Amino acid sequence: MTIAADTPRRKRPFWTIERRDAAAGYAFIAPQLIGIVTFVLFPLGLVFYYSLHEWNVLANTFNYVGAANYQMLLADKALPQVLLSSAVFSAGLVVLNMSLALLLAVLLDQKLKGITLFRTLFFSPVVVSLVAWTIVWSFLLQNNGGINGLLQLIGVEGPNWLRTPTTAMISVIVVQVFKNVGLNMILFLAALQGVPRELYEAARVDGAGRFKQFRRITLPLISPTILLTSIITIVGSLQVFAQIAVLTQGGPGMTTTVLVYYLYQQAFQFHFFGYGSTLSILLFVIVALLTFVQWQMRKRIVFYEN
Amino acid sequence: MKTDLSPRMKVALYGLMCVLLIPFVFPTWWMLTSSVKPISDIFAFPPDLWPRRFDFSTYARVFELQPFARQYWNSAYIAALVTGGTMIISSMAGYAFARIKFPFSNAIFMVVLLGLLIPSEVTIVPLFQMFLKWGMINTHWPLILVPIFGAPSVFATFVMRQFFIALPVELEEAARVDGLGRFKIFWLIALPLAKPALGAVAIFTFLHSWNLYLEPIVFLSSTQMFTLPQALTQFTDAYGGAMWNIQLAAATMTAIPVLLVFIVAQKQFVEGLAHTGLKG
Amino acid sequence: MAPVTLKSITKSYGTTPVLHGIDIDIADGEFVVLVGPSGCGKSTLLRMIAGLETVTGGDISIGARVVNDLEPKDRDIAMVFQNYALYPHMTVATNMGFSLEHRGAGKAEIAERVNWAADILGLRPLLDRYPRQLSGGQRQRVAMGRAIVRNPQVFLFDEPLSNLDAKLRVVMRGEIKGLHQRLGVTTVYVTHDQVEAMTMADKIVVMNGGRVEQVGAPLDLYDRPANLFVAGFIGSPAMNAIAGRITADGFMAGDVTLPLPPGVSRADNAVYGIRPEHLSLAAAGVPAIVKLVEPMGSETQVTLTLGEHTVIGVFRERLKSQPGETVHLQPDLTAIHLFDATTGGRLN
Repeated sequence: MTIAADTPRRKRPFWTIERRDAAAGYAFIAPQLIGIVTFVLFPLGLVFYYSLHEWNVLANTFNYVGAANYQMLLADKALPQVLLSSAVFSAGLVVLNMSLALLLAVLLDQKLKGITLFRTLFFSPVVVSLVAWTIVWSFLLQNNGGINGLLQLIGVEGPNWLRTPTTAMISVIVVQVFKNVGLNMILFLAALQGVPRELYEAARVDGAGRFKQFRRITLPLISPTILLTSIITIVGSLQVFAQIAVLTQGGPGMTTTVLVYYLYQQAFQFHFFGYGSTLSILLFVIVALLTFVQWQMRKRIVFYEN
Repeated sequence: MKTDLSPRMKVALYGLMCVLLIPFVFPTWWMLTSSVKPISDIFAFPPDLWPRRFDFSTYARVFELQPFARQYWNSAYIAALVTGGTMIISSMAGYAFARIKFPFSNAIFMVVLLGLLIPSEVTIVPLFQMFLKWGMINTHWPLILVPIFGAPSVFATFVMRQFFIALPVELEEAARVDGLGRFKIFWLIALPLAKPALGAVAIFTFLHSWNLYLEPIVFLSSTQMFTLPQALTQFTDAYGGAMWNIQLAAATMTAIPVLLVFIVAQKQFVEGLAHTGLKG
Repeated sequence: MAPVTLKSITKSYGTTPVLHGIDIDIADGEFVVLVGPSGCGKSTLLRMIAGLETVTGGDISIGARVVNDLEPKDRDIAMVFQNYALYPHMTVATNMGFSLEHRGAGKAEIAERVNWAADILGLRPLLDRYPRQLSGGQRQRVAMGRAIVRNPQVFLFDEPLSNLDAKLRVVMRGEIKGLHQRLGVTTVYVTHDQVEAMTMADKIVVMNGGRVEQVGAPLDLYDRPANLFVAGFIGSPAMNAIAGRITADGFMAGDVTLPLPPGVSRADNAVYGIRPEHLSLAAAGVPAIVKLVEPMGSETQVTLTLGEHTVIGVFRERLKSQPGETVHLQPDLTAIHLFDATTGGRLN
């Protein structure tokens, strides 16, 4: 006896509950999906298409050249310097940002009066306009600016911060760290406050000291947050542009010319759209690769996931 | 690690935090005070932590050298549109990905997440060509459309999805039994409960739009159309030298209103951010 | 008010079947309790009646209509959820009036109905509060108020008392039962607690592993469980079940022989069931060793060893025995349940 035999089939309406709900689902995501396709995925395809062309707007040329732009990329004498600058900038930024954020979060997690005021002040640069913040630092870092003035008061001759290769890079990193470290600090603080108190009490009963508690309990439990913020921070560091443009214009020499800045110069200052597109592809590959590697690493460095 | 601290420890911690605060607070202070110093005192030695003479004419000069009010309006309305648009689009998409069953939802979500890997810096060249073709160069459309639909809104969608997943599903089932369709459930039940996540999305999106710099300098060419970050870098004399005090006056006017809003609403602000889906 | 009919209902998630053909007839105005261990499919079945889960096969009818493809809102049902599902951002009054508001009722009508429901449930003073300002029992009442406001054809309850403490649970049990007697609306109530099922139901449906084990009035289920599962599930402490053989001389379980009522046919593979209160102490009877004595005041619960079997007895008298002592048990021959050990089906 089959089910079909003992229950005569009623005619089911086309718009069943599931179908109606699915239609609602598509309607809800439609704007986002159409937007992503139009303003992200389609342009990504175009970048790749452009990168196969020699295209100079001034000379009004647009010719298919195959992999020529990629060969140019490999032969580009400036590129190693650009990649080195990008790497130094990103590495310096991430290391400094994450460790300072963690230090501040641990400080703010202490039982102290007026801690909210400190939290507010440490966070405040996040809401200051990026270019305004950079301009103030640019002003402070001038050879005759505020920082060297204050250093001179204690008898130290400061360098010309933005015109000396090493200090220019340090300046660019530090300015960006102070600007945005508050974000990671708040996320770490939330993670720290999410660690159950009983665990610390249990560890104290077991005889673990403060440092050991931090290393064996706090760090493992907040490692998912550390991973996520580090991905966001790294991807963000590769997009840095305004700070470079305002502080150093990539100089002195090309010591602070990071990839995005170089891309901007090639495409919009020298009007090499084809080669600029090739650099865009390089940027995309680097972002994707770093995200992928970090995501894979989560199995090893993240001790716990909820 | 909230254990009671000894008084000596407390003093040490306060001292450490005060020293650490200097690079966070001093620049803003220096911006404020230097913006009212006459140009001759700007690089005075020893540096003046309080201006020895005041010159408020710098603020008037800002408006003489640039259509600054117009530029302010440009930045403000663009940020408002981007923030509002992103909140609508990403809360709807985030809700659907979290709650509605439809074929290929996971695959589509993965495609949308791809957007996070493709910041607009990567696609700036074709975006320029597209907007050129559409006659939108030197208009504000690129600065509105790209963030509303690009990587920043994908991030917002992700945050909203994480929030909606954690919302008790029974509330929506009760609403279905009470007679609501999908859209009304979203609008009357889910969205009002998502205020913390929406707040975080609003903050992130506003700051992103407010800080945009590469896009305006690529897409905009006339000073009337400029946004604030772009305008701030334009205060130079005939020889290209920076007119520091005037530039700092403009920077002050750009920074202070947002800073004040933040200080007034800092509790909601910080807690909103802390409750994004970033905890993993 | 309307009858509810479930006809060969099946449900699968993907290829995993969770309900294997359920047939239940619920009469107009009846209070039916679906009871069973967690994972038995009772909540899924209730949610299918509500329209929150789709029907894989079979028909669900409310009144004269087959409702399989109707939205919950078109089924004229109301549901009370386990964690109440009160809208946190609305006052009690708005929560209760919400469904009427979205069915196009006028303000005056909504106010009248909300006040009517609030009076029944004693919620008048709480109408302007928010759910977070209420105690667990008050929230439970509001959830019920939200259900009755609309005067639906069917009430559905999904484990509504499981978040309350034991004392409040007993109170609310009485209130729900009283509400049903007052309104007479057809009610389907899901619980895993057999005491709730016994005390509240007109009719109990015992479910296990996606199938109906038995349907019947509470005392019928208690007195004549159709199979071993129902026998073990209904009643607390659970019925004693001893495996062995039915012979002409009695029930042989290892070295122990238990008395049988006359006229039982022999079986080699059987289970002897006797409820704890149907064992009594006698001067002569089956010898058993006391293992644990738990005085409850009104009665005494004793765990005993009967050969290699452990049984529980509940006695009206206060027992002075110490663990290790031997006592003699006399089963009530009119209250013996015999089951087939392989199929679990009832033999007598």
